Amino acid sequence: MDKQEEFVLRALEERDVRFVRLWFTDVLGFLKSVAVAPAELEGAFSEGIGFDGSAIEGFARVYEADMLAKPDPSTFQILPWRGEGPTTARMFCDILMPDGSSSYADPRFVLKRTLAKAADMGFTFYTHPEIEFFLFQDGPSFKDGADARLEPVPVDRSGYFDHTPQGVGSDFRRQAITMLESMGISVEFSHHEGAPGQQEIDLRYADALSTADNIMTFRVVVKEVALSQGVYASFMPKPFTEYPGSAMHTHMSLFEGDRNVFFEPGAEFHLSKTGRAFIAGLLHHAGEITAVTNQWVNSYKRMAAGGEAPSYICWGHNNRSALVRVPMYKPTKEQSSRIELRSIDSACNPYLAFAAVLAAGLKGIEEDYSLPPGAEDDVWTLTDRERRAMGIQPLPKNLDDAIGLMESSELVAETLGEHVFDFFLRNKRAEFDDYRRQVTPFEKERLLPVL
Amino acid sequence: MYQRLATSRGHLARLGFADVDAAVDLIGRLGEEPDALVESAAFSADPDQSLRSLVELLEANDRPDVLHRALRNNMALRERVNAVLGASTAFGSFLRRHQRVWRDLEPFDLDADEVPLGPAPETRDQLRVAYYRRLLGIAARDLMGVLSVDEVGERLATLAGETLRSALSIAATELPEQAGQCRLAVIAMGKCGGYELNYVSDVDVIFVAEPAAGTDEAVAMRAAGQLASAMMRICSDHTPEGTIWQVDAALRPEGAAGPLVRTVASHIAYYERWAKTWEFQALLKARPVAGDEKLGEEYVAAIRPTVWQAADREHFVEDVQAMRRRVVDHIRAGEAERQIKLGPGGLRDVEFAVQLLQLVHGRADESLRSGNTLRALDALTRGGYVGREDGAALAEAYRFLRGLEHRVQLRQLRRTHVVPEGTAELRALGRSLGYRSDPVRTLTREWSRHAQEVRRLHEKIFYRPLLAAVARLPGEEVRLTPDAARQRLTALGYAHPASALKHLESLTAGLSRRAAIQRTLLPVMLGWFAAAPDPDQGLLAFRQVSDALGETPWYLRQLRDEGAAAERMARVLSSSRYASDLLMRAPEAAGMLADDAELRSRTREQLVAEMSTSARRHDDPEAAVAAVRAVRRRELFRCAVADLLDLLDVHEVGDALTDVAVATLEGALVAATRAVEAKLGGELPTRMALIAMGRLGGHEMSYGSDADVMVVHRPLAGSDEPEAANAAKAVVNEMQRLLGAPAADPPLLLDLALRPEGKSGPLVRTLESYASYYSRWAATWEAQALLRAVPVCGDEELQREFVELIAPLRWPDGGPSDEQVREVRRIKARVDAERLPRGADPATHTKLGPGGLADIEWTAQLVQMRHAAAVPGLRTTRTVAALQAAVGEGLLGRDDASRLVEAWELASRIRGAVMLVRGRSSDSLPSDVRDRAGVAYLCGYGADGAGRLFDAYRRATRRARTVVDRVFWG
Repeated sequence: MDKQEEFVLRALEERDVRFVRLWFTDVLGFLKSVAVAPAELEGAFSEGIGFDGSAIEGFARVYEADMLAKPDPSTFQILPWRGEGPTTARMFCDILMPDGSSSYADPRFVLKRTLAKAADMGFTFYTHPEIEFFLFQDGPSFKDGADARLEPVPVDRSGYFDHTPQGVGSDFRRQAITMLESMGISVEFSHHEGAPGQQEIDLRYADALSTADNIMTFRVVVKEVALSQGVYASFMPKPFTEYPGSAMHTHMSLFEGDRNVFFEPGAEFHLSKTGRAFIAGLLHHAGEITAVTNQWVNSYKRMAAGGEAPSYICWGHNNRSALVRVPMYKPTKEQSSRIELRSIDSACNPYLAFAAVLAAGLKGIEEDYSLPPGAEDDVWTLTDRERRAMGIQPLPKNLDDAIGLMESSELVAETLGEHVFDFFLRNKRAEFDDYRRQVTPFEKERLLPVL
Repeated sequence: MYQRLATSRGHLARLGFADVDAAVDLIGRLGEEPDALVESAAFSADPDQSLRSLVELLEANDRPDVLHRALRNNMALRERVNAVLGASTAFGSFLRRHQRVWRDLEPFDLDADEVPLGPAPETRDQLRVAYYRRLLGIAARDLMGVLSVDEVGERLATLAGETLRSALSIAATELPEQAGQCRLAVIAMGKCGGYELNYVSDVDVIFVAEPAAGTDEAVAMRAAGQLASAMMRICSDHTPEGTIWQVDAALRPEGAAGPLVRTVASHIAYYERWAKTWEFQALLKARPVAGDEKLGEEYVAAIRPTVWQAADREHFVEDVQAMRRRVVDHIRAGEAERQIKLGPGGLRDVEFAVQLLQLVHGRADESLRSGNTLRALDALTRGGYVGREDGAALAEAYRFLRGLEHRVQLRQLRRTHVVPEGTAELRALGRSLGYRSDPVRTLTREWSRHAQEVRRLHEKIFYRPLLAAVARLPGEEVRLTPDAARQRLTALGYAHPASALKHLESLTAGLSRRAAIQRTLLPVMLGWFAAAPDPDQGLLAFRQVSDALGETPWYLRQLRDEGAAAERMARVLSSSRYASDLLMRAPEAAGMLADDAELRSRTREQLVAEMSTSARRHDDPEAAVAAVRAVRRRELFRCAVADLLDLLDVHEVGDALTDVAVATLEGALVAATRAVEAKLGGELPTRMALIAMGRLGGHEMSYGSDADVMVVHRPLAGSDEPEAANAAKAVVNEMQRLLGAPAADPPLLLDLALRPEGKSGPLVRTLESYASYYSRWAATWEAQALLRAVPVCGDEELQREFVELIAPLRWPDGGPSDEQVREVRRIKARVDAERLPRGADPATHTKLGPGGLADIEWTAQLVQMRHAAAVPGLRTTRTVAALQAAVGEGLLGRDDASRLVEAWELASRIRGAVMLVRGRSSDSLPSDVRDRAGVAYLCGYGADGAGRLFDAYRRATRRARTVVDRVFWG
């Protein structure tokens, strides 16, 4: 029993905690939770809580179904939204095999391995996500018959940065942020986004593992706060045909000790050679990793729409139509030198997405890829020919294309590990096959009247 | 005077001067009455250098007369100056630059405290001069033998502490504002903290600070950081007076990435939360050395408990094991032979091992908590954690190595741990350590003796005391308590320490010769067992073998005299149940462990000759086959051992096992034929030949493979054909019965399912029957199976004719028809869909999983069927050879082939390892945790490499699968 664990056990007593939720994440990025009584926790610390891995998406069949969830006491938090009644707390878990070794199916371990690789090269990876999501008046209803209503109604009609007096949105954001802060997650920024009902909350930059944990917590907090206010929150990448979708633009930087290695005074955009190679890696492998950063059939609807969502593989200085944007450099803030990847959406598995992105960037550094010239124009307004002349390739247009590219990627296989790689591809192929069989409202509306 | 010496060049040579001409020259410059000076120079470590430095010292001095007189009149001064000059060129030039400093060496009594150095240094230069004067004092006392090695380390650490205090006070003068804002304490770590510093070394520290009353914490911490950096620079800056040393703060929380200065609370928070086990190991040596004393004490008081709770931390056992592995790997790294610190048998090994034992036993036993290696070793010895003689010998070795290191560093005051190679340097070093006669040889011998001592360190300090815990060893009054022994065994990787102790007790109890030998041997073997994934199994198996063979004289002799044999036995027993089982049933096979030549596989001819001779020696068929099988058992053990020791690669293992199987068949054929003939009362009415198929035909046998065969026979002229067929069938049945009968060795099952018409066809056919069957009925799968056909025993003419018969079938001119290719693919699709056993995971099924053995073999075979008629190189029964031949002809891409070969080799290797580890064959990676670790270990992924092996296997098979998709499926 170490100090951390003692602290947790003491806190359970003092705060009258009745339930402890043990959290971990499946391969698709869904949060899983096992509730244990405080009395069982001591055993969980020393041996882990056994569970049947085959019941969890993507966990089974590494060797056998028996797995252990071992809580990490440093992630202990009281859950703030269950204010009344018995107090509940949560901890994140690592997934272990019965011999105590890490499970290759655990997305957290995937990210940890890639971070270890970065560490071997002397780097720490920091990320800062801008998470977008929608607030709806009501949750989706799947009732049969005339009541069926899938078209969601946003909570407001506002737009980008609009201040909505007495709006559900600002109330919501205030409460969500208070709750996040009370769980130790710092919020940088929040505002109303471009679409009706759309919100954005930016988390403060932190090392990628903490950020990924924070994103998982964030999604739960947002959903819980929404429920408590009688609204419904969704991270679906593109709920409306006519409005922009929900991205998770992610700012990234590499540090060597306390030095930001993307920064170089005097260089173009103050971007170092390492920074350029990292971007080159992102661009070079952009197609292969898209299935991971944008994992749902719906993800590709967002990227087809133009505007702020990237469809083409290019970079630019402060160019919001590019896949990778190098933000304007702020003098005296060399530590905040960073690049922004704009493809990732809010419904990704953050552990896998960060691992894939980092691996691509590191590959660029390792192999010393050279960076093609940046794009200065809005790439959406260029013609196909112009884009071709400039050597700008499109991102995969749908999940099927993305799977095809990922399948032949040694980089992604190595990064995810063979188990997750194989499961992920099988699952996504099945998703696309299901989708292919659907007769959509689009077809009915267009074709039924005329054919 | 000059005359007398000039005529005694021989005298100079006898005195030890190497360059007599130069010496004569120098003596000419020494002035009057040189004799005494020359003689004391001659007594120093390096007479030539000492004499030259002495002359230069006198010539550079502004009052040479005073110095000259003092040297002539004061024998003690003369000897001290020469001792220093002979051992250190660096001090020679220091004494020349600072003309009065020689007086430091003048006081009559060197035992007394050092000379006071006047007012506290106020500038960097003053600090440097003061530091080097004190260092000179320590060096002179050291060289004159006034200080022991332990005391030198202690004095150097004390000096470092004073220097840090002076540097800090200079820093505070330079930065008065910052100094007022915080309380800063410097904590010595590493060798400085442990009072065992070198002459030239980085000084490891940690900084801790608290805000001064009324100062904001952020401001105070910034101020403390500036103060700390200034102090570090004051020590390390290069000035005209040189540099002192680097102050290294990298042991602080988060290392170089963390803040330089932290509060006590922040330190504690870090150690409670994030620290790694090695960091606690480093904290064993922490002590306050400069700055705010009260704060330093607070820090140490706060940090101590966390150190001693380290052993209760999560992963402590794993960490300790990883650290132990690092030490072991370290020792094996053959590089850096001349390194005193990091080389094999170097200082680091002792320090590391001592610290490890402190962490394991120090929580329960407070007497072990010293930061000083020698004191800790002494405490461990007194507590019975280390044997008394071993502890003493190790301490002696440690002191020797440190003394040597001191002398090496003194020469030029450089931070080096490498012993020079030149004879002249070695001579001076040897003389400085007091080896007057034959210094080079003596030094080399002593060094290697002590390094040897250290190299056997783990045996001594980790394992031998465990025996003392269970058996009363002569001369050991204090014993490791059973509790401590169990703790230690756990830390070393034994999962069931209580039974391990029982085995140890039984192996070492009593006064027999066996117990005595095992008592000396076990400490080493315990270490070898612990290197494998299942140490408990190794120890248990050793006990069993020992019970079976314990009284056999050669066994004891072999264990005692052949170091390699004992190590091999340990590896075999602790990593393979298959080999252990074979050994248990025939313990005398242990004999082959002693001899490399014995571990080379026998040739097929040798084996066939031996087995058929054994078969012929017995009239009773059962006795005959028992003899054959005994030979087979021995050969399987030989192959398994060579495989376990990495003496064979996966192809050589396949060859060796195939040869053993073929020879076994030959022997069994002889015995069965004789049995049938006895029954018939006459000669067999037919001649027979055995055709190897499948893995046997492909030279790819694994430990658990069945022998796939077909049988062809030809009735003797004039005999009745049905009778002849019956006789041949009887022989086959007899072979099956004899080879499959349960016995002390694994049975060899004959599998005849690949014969025409499969299981419903006749067991034996004549050549003509094969010919007519193949010409009319042969199915595509049969032609494919014939690709692996190779006759192995029986009638030679029949063998030859059979090969000719099947050639057009397996290597058809123009390749197979489209129809046949479709058929091959269709069958493969069905195999993929249906053959996998229920519940098996395709991803871990080495034979039938995607990219597994079947995929690769079918791909090779399809290429063979298509092109072997035109490409002779493809007419091989071996998978890998076929793939390589296909590359040579451009039928398969080089990359494609290497992906297939890589996956095939890994899958084969895993199959072999599974059998070796579990003693039962399986096509899947095992699900049991220990078995999995064992397989990873044997495949070279380390005892903790199961996850990595699995990932590597899936990667190799995924890549192979993409090639199969393209090449086989088209």
